[in-house]
Amino acid sequence: MDELTRQLRRREFLKLAGAVGATAGLGAFLAACGASTASTAASAVASAAPSAAPSMAPTAAASAAASVAASVAPTPGPTGTFNWLTWSDHWYQAELDNIKAAINISANVTSFSDNIDAYTKIQQVGGQVDMVSGDALWVPHYYESQLIDPFDINSLQVASQLYSVARAFSIWTTPAGYLGYPNGWSPVQITYDPAHVTAGADSWQLLLDPKYKKRVIVEDQPVEIMAYMGKAAGVKDPYNMTADEIAQAKALLVQLKPNILRLAPQNTDTIAALKNGEAWIATINLGADISVKNQGGPELTTFTPKEGTIGWMDSEMIVHGGGNTNLLMPFLEAHEQAENVAANFMINKRPLFNEKAYKLLINQGQQELADHMLYNKPETVNTMTLKGPGSSTQAVIAAFNDVFGA
Amino acid sequence: MTGEVRDGAGAAPLAGSSNGFLKRAGRAVPALPGLAVLLFLFVVPMLIMFLFSFWKTNGDFKVVQEWNIGNYLRFFTEGTYLRTFVKTLVMGTIVTIAALGISLPFAYFLVRYTGQRTQRIVLLAVIVPFWTSYLLRVYAWQAILGEHGALNQFFMGIGLIDKPSMFFVYDDPGVFVVLTYVYFPFAVLALYSALEKFDFTQLTAAQDLGARPDQAFRYILLPQIRAGVITACIFVFIPILGEFLTPTLVGGAQSSLIANLIVNYLRQAQFPEGAALAIIIAGFVTLVMIVFRKSFRVEDVVTRA
Amino acid sequence: MPKKASPVDSMPVGRFARQTRWGLIALTGAVLVFLYLPIAFLILFSFETAATPGLPITGLTLHWYQVLFADGSIQKAVGTSVLVALIVTVIATIVGTMVAFPLVRGGLPKPGVLRLGFTMPIMIPGVLLGIGLLIFFRQVLKVPLGLQTVVAGHLVFTIPFVVLIVSARLQGFDRRLEWAAADLGADTRRTLRYIVLPLIAPAILAGALMCVTLSIDEFVITFFTIGPQQTLPLYIYTQIKFGVTPEVNALATLMLAVTMTLLLLGTGLMALRGRVTARRRRNAEQL
Repeated sequence: MDELTRQLRRREFLKLAGAVGATAGLGAFLAACGASTASTAASAVASAAPSAAPSMAPTAAASAAASVAASVAPTPGPTGTFNWLTWSDHWYQAELDNIKAAINISANVTSFSDNIDAYTKIQQVGGQVDMVSGDALWVPHYYESQLIDPFDINSLQVASQLYSVARAFSIWTTPAGYLGYPNGWSPVQITYDPAHVTAGADSWQLLLDPKYKKRVIVEDQPVEIMAYMGKAAGVKDPYNMTADEIAQAKALLVQLKPNILRLAPQNTDTIAALKNGEAWIATINLGADISVKNQGGPELTTFTPKEGTIGWMDSEMIVHGGGNTNLLMPFLEAHEQAENVAANFMINKRPLFNEKAYKLLINQGQQELADHMLYNKPETVNTMTLKGPGSSTQAVIAAFNDVFGA
Repeated sequence: MTGEVRDGAGAAPLAGSSNGFLKRAGRAVPALPGLAVLLFLFVVPMLIMFLFSFWKTNGDFKVVQEWNIGNYLRFFTEGTYLRTFVKTLVMGTIVTIAALGISLPFAYFLVRYTGQRTQRIVLLAVIVPFWTSYLLRVYAWQAILGEHGALNQFFMGIGLIDKPSMFFVYDDPGVFVVLTYVYFPFAVLALYSALEKFDFTQLTAAQDLGARPDQAFRYILLPQIRAGVITACIFVFIPILGEFLTPTLVGGAQSSLIANLIVNYLRQAQFPEGAALAIIIAGFVTLVMIVFRKSFRVEDVVTRA
Repeated sequence: MPKKASPVDSMPVGRFARQTRWGLIALTGAVLVFLYLPIAFLILFSFETAATPGLPITGLTLHWYQVLFADGSIQKAVGTSVLVALIVTVIATIVGTMVAFPLVRGGLPKPGVLRLGFTMPIMIPGVLLGIGLLIFFRQVLKVPLGLQTVVAGHLVFTIPFVVLIVSARLQGFDRRLEWAAADLGADTRRTLRYIVLPLIAPAILAGALMCVTLSIDEFVITFFTIGPQQTLPLYIYTQIKFGVTPEVNALATLMLAVTMTLLLLGTGLMALRGRVTARRRRNAEQL
């Protein structure tokens, strides 16, 4: 009985110690969270300024955050927290903290990766989320499914800072109002390392050249891959392909497969592969080549294929039936100010639709970078085939599975 | 001997007297919460998905109730699914063998040669790294196995090879290594709890009776930890049938396993199509477990009598 | 008090016993290296200057730790993950153990079928389970999503692991110990508490450890069953457009450090308690 009692006591003690330790650790951790969120504004500004890492927000972010706090006059308006389902490049912590400090509206951010995930979520949970981000043709899809509410974009003062083309996209315009507040955009481009790849390429065919076995890296997005194979085959609308068109795209995909190093799950994988020299050619969004160079990788050449390309442009949508909708307009007024947008550009290096921010970037001496990112050419979106829910999705996946199965 | 059946063994005191419906129903009470979870949080949602699998997704991403078995036929008529499934079975088998091959001596060493406190510490040491993000650990493996990774640099440094080996890079061998790494702790935990209860004096007795150590191992130890070995196999092999992250993260263009193909449908909201494929896989495993049900016997030797 | 001779010590040794023993030690060492090698790199990457974790290391910095401490949202995500994992582990371990007993000892009809039933959640790809649960919660039950639905979702695939481990352990349990206890006058409850549970404690511990491991890094099912909250795996896996920065490595390193410290403290305290009890007993015997 002795042995057993000791075992039992020991086990109970271990459990107790574990529970106490875990609770104490958790409590301490949460206390630290609480403490640090309060001082985040100060520390974020302090840490943002002297940062050494290439892609972190430089002093611009610090001054942006401060100046926004100044420019958004603290009028007595609604306060509280709302729920925002969005991508991680639509916001940065210092900005959210400063908005909270200025007008006492805080955003409870949850993230997602693909439009379809957010759409499924919103379809099921509806008003549990107040604001959701989405791409291009997904926006009208949300509207047709009665999941979002249109609004008068011109009622927002900050909307005057947008490029005029961004306030009038036909796919986002309805009689009841505009469907989303425009954020940013990018086409899919091809980038290559001129040290290993013959210069002068201008077509999707570069990906298929047998010289580059296992040297091409693409992101693991079956529908998108088939879409630009469709583009390579000359298809006009690669998101709504006929059976014939799918067959053509699939034939090209079969040629592409041996060239693929890997189907990258994340953008950073593409950048890392280009930086290491594991991959010589990649399909990327704007800005990836700069990231590669900043991390010490080779100088890459980027081009938009002549057959045309796909791309995205995203926006913030107001979810129908959200409980905190009254907070969204004041939040957007603060969040979409040029100073924040300019700082966001410097962090993520993607073109955004705020024209005033472009001027700020010029003042900050970043014109070359902004122009490289086609920041001042938002009309480029009209040349891209925009992402969206396509009617041929199922058939496209069947074709993709056929090629990439064992 | 452990497991010897006595007369009237069915009336083991802990079970209470074996007669009376209420008494029998009473014995099932502890299982009720677990059964409730299984029923409401698994069976019902899966029934919903089973229903879905006979419907279709239209071009508008909506599920329409057009009854059809096309989603099931797809698995058999389009060759890619069968081929990929076979490849997944093969991968699952070799990973299970590797994981068991490593974890059995590991757990054996722990149980036989170390004290209980050391065992607990080592077990925790094995498990704690797996509380960090899976993604980060796999990225770390890329840094080890990659073209410019630590392994290649090591072998080049000691002169074994003169240019980086691409053997593990974005290919099936890399997937194999990482899968073994990921599922090894599950095998260890299952084998540890089986070995821990084993009475090692039986091996002494066997050797007293003239058995060689390996004979004692084979005829005394293995049969008694069989339940644990089978549990370990289940913990490793079955989740591999649903594995899609490792092939995506570490594999190349030709490393897709069956779950990758299924997930390609599900991630594009083609739920009926994906559900049917997943149900076929689950059905196959269920079939195997039924056919080999004698090996999977779950009842006590006492209860069986 | 003389140290009790372990039965292992008195075993006759085979011809290759020493080699076997050293072989096993080498294997155990190799396994631990195999387990911790990626962890070592993970920790290393938390200090590197490049924004993408990976080789080659261009420089070392504490910058990512600074970012981590300023990042309220990732801290909240960690807190949520840990909380969910703890709740799930406690419930799953208790519920799973409770199921194992009637399953193995004949309290349930068709135990083979039930065990198969409990194995099935492991077989189903998480995505399917997640979607099924989402539809079930929202269309059938019409409950709002939140941490309670996440816990429910996690329970579905963690309970089977506990059931399988504990029932495997119970299967070969030497009933004669219980019968002996009954002969000595113990009732069911006492036997359970003082004989059975302590002896299957390692299996229960193993099951609990599996639950924590499974729950804390679970992404797929969490994504479909969570409300406007965030867990750490969600945070990491949804950064697909931009990828993880070494900030996450810094977080992982800290979590590892905290967990290991807590566990070492726990086992250290346990050892201390054992020694105190032993000394007290010695003192009592001397009186």
